[in-house]
Amino acid sequence: MHTEPADILVVDDELGMREGIKRLFEVQGHHVDTAACGADGIALGTQREYDVYFLDLKMPDMDGVAVLDSIKKVYPEAICIIVTAYASIDTAVETTRLGAYQYVAKPFAPDDIQFVFDRALERRAYILEARRLREERERRLLEVAQEKSRIRTIMNAIGDGLLVINQDGELVLFNPRFLTLLRINQTLVTGQPVLDLLPEALREQITEILTKKERLQGIEQEIVIQPPAKLVVMANTASIQDEQGRFLGVVSVLRDISELKNIELLKSQFVNMAAHELKAPLSAVQGYLEVVIEKTLGDAPEIYDGYLRRSNERCLALIGLINDLLNISRMQAGTVKREIENLEIGGILRPLTEFYQHEIDKAQLTLTLTLDQPLWIAADREEIQRVFQNLISNAVKYNRPNGEIRIHGYREGHYAKISVQDSGIGMTQEEQERLFEEFFRAKNALTRHITGTGLGLTIVKSIVNAYAGKIEVQSTFQVGTTFTVSLPLANARRKDEKEK
Amino acid sequence: MNKKILMIDDDVDLVQLIKPVLEKEGYQVAAAFDSREGWDLFQSFAPDVILMDLAMEHFDSGFVLCHKIKNSDQGKNTPIIMMTAAGHETGIRFSTQTAEERRWIRADDYLDKPIRPRDLLAYLREKVFHQSDAH
Repeated sequence: MHTEPADILVVDDELGMREGIKRLFEVQGHHVDTAACGADGIALGTQREYDVYFLDLKMPDMDGVAVLDSIKKVYPEAICIIVTAYASIDTAVETTRLGAYQYVAKPFAPDDIQFVFDRALERRAYILEARRLREERERRLLEVAQEKSRIRTIMNAIGDGLLVINQDGELVLFNPRFLTLLRINQTLVTGQPVLDLLPEALREQITEILTKKERLQGIEQEIVIQPPAKLVVMANTASIQDEQGRFLGVVSVLRDISELKNIELLKSQFVNMAAHELKAPLSAVQGYLEVVIEKTLGDAPEIYDGYLRRSNERCLALIGLINDLLNISRMQAGTVKREIENLEIGGILRPLTEFYQHEIDKAQLTLTLTLDQPLWIAADREEIQRVFQNLISNAVKYNRPNGEIRIHGYREGHYAKISVQDSGIGMTQEEQERLFEEFFRAKNALTRHITGTGLGLTIVKSIVNAYAGKIEVQSTFQVGTTFTVSLPLANARRKDEKEK
Repeated sequence: MNKKILMIDDDVDLVQLIKPVLEKEGYQVAAAFDSREGWDLFQSFAPDVILMDLAMEHFDSGFVLCHKIKNSDQGKNTPIIMMTAAGHETGIRFSTQTAEERRWIRADDYLDKPIRPRDLLAYLREKVFHQSDAH
């Protein structure tokens, strides 16, 4: 039975009737509002939904049917009991057809109205419960819909490919990344068998879990997908269970690790080459020293002078190589500390050419340095020195006797351009293409006795790039090579200040 | 008549190290620093054995020269010893397992670089010239 207090509205022009009903139900703990005319009844009755309405059918301002109509428009499920002095069948049929719950004929005994009221309350309770259930269901449906769309959005945003398959190997869920990773071009439909579309290794992974149907540890393995493009994918497959631990299917997450693999490969190649380059001079030194120590060639010490000198050279070269490697590694790690200042190119080049003069003379070369105008750049002095040290040193080493080195500095747009031209052995097209590769050194009869780490130009390029400059090479085999470095000019105003 | 050894290797250090040691041991030694020089010297010097680097101008230039020498009338019986560091650097093993490989690569043996002078001398005495005692 309805135990909670009910809200009741009585609309009746007769005071006695209003007060009678009010008293009857207030005694029972219900709350009763009253209205003395139809208009007030409508105003009150549509403001909020009462549990039960008692409506007088015959009032001076309007009849109860109009009030009923107005309330029903706002609250279609409102329970309205018509109170009427004209207990005709016609009126009763009319009001129930319009949505009245029941009617009571005046005059009535309290028991009569109580009976109708109690049934009305039961009815009201059913309506409220049904309404509650309906609203809850609607809310849940809405939540589910939102949840679904949220999950879909999340899945689509994931950078990894996602695939969910049920225990029959049919497609349950996937995201677009899954399709692109596996190069699947066809449209997939939920519920379609999907195993045959997968690369073999992934299919095996999934099939293993599908057939065992146990709570297995996930399987993680690299899968190489090809053709058309070789792709290395880390595939992680695990079983899905419900709360009772029943097997439902499998989920596979695919991560593209091609780039990572590529970096790994490059890194190991670099380490390999570095190890090779370090080992070669060290092995040579070891061999020389062994011969010296074991006096393999005889007892006279001067026999070994050449071996010792050569050992010393190789050790110096090794130190140079290690310095270069450290330099490159610092540049790649971005831990180079640069002290940027305004530098005039001539102020860098002149001392450098003096420094190399001895070697230039020894190699019977002539060097000319031409600077069209002062060229100011903003850079770290040591780094810019290193750039031109490398280029001048190369121009000396890869030159010919009686050859030339021409250094020319000029302005072009917003750039300082410095070309270092030698009349040396030049490079083939293939050599030019590989020039800036780490450890690359042109290998032929002419370069055999030239020492170097193969890292100089790699460093030069890294430095020039760090200043948003560029380095170009123009070379003719057996004729000569010209390197041209372009570096952005320092801020024009500051340059003018410097010149004043 | 002293045995004649031809070294073909672009590793200047190795040649500078080994050549005097071999000469001190009584061998007559000529050295070439690339395949072309190697081929020329092979013809003029007529060595009893050739020590050859595998990777000179190209990674397989030793094989190519070896093939050329072994297919010449003058060189078909000249032992050729390949010297290479490639084995432990790249993991490649130079075994000639198939007839096809044997027909093509006809090096008589492979030595791992770096080669210690003392080991090379012992190798030449025992494996190449089959002498039990030093000169």
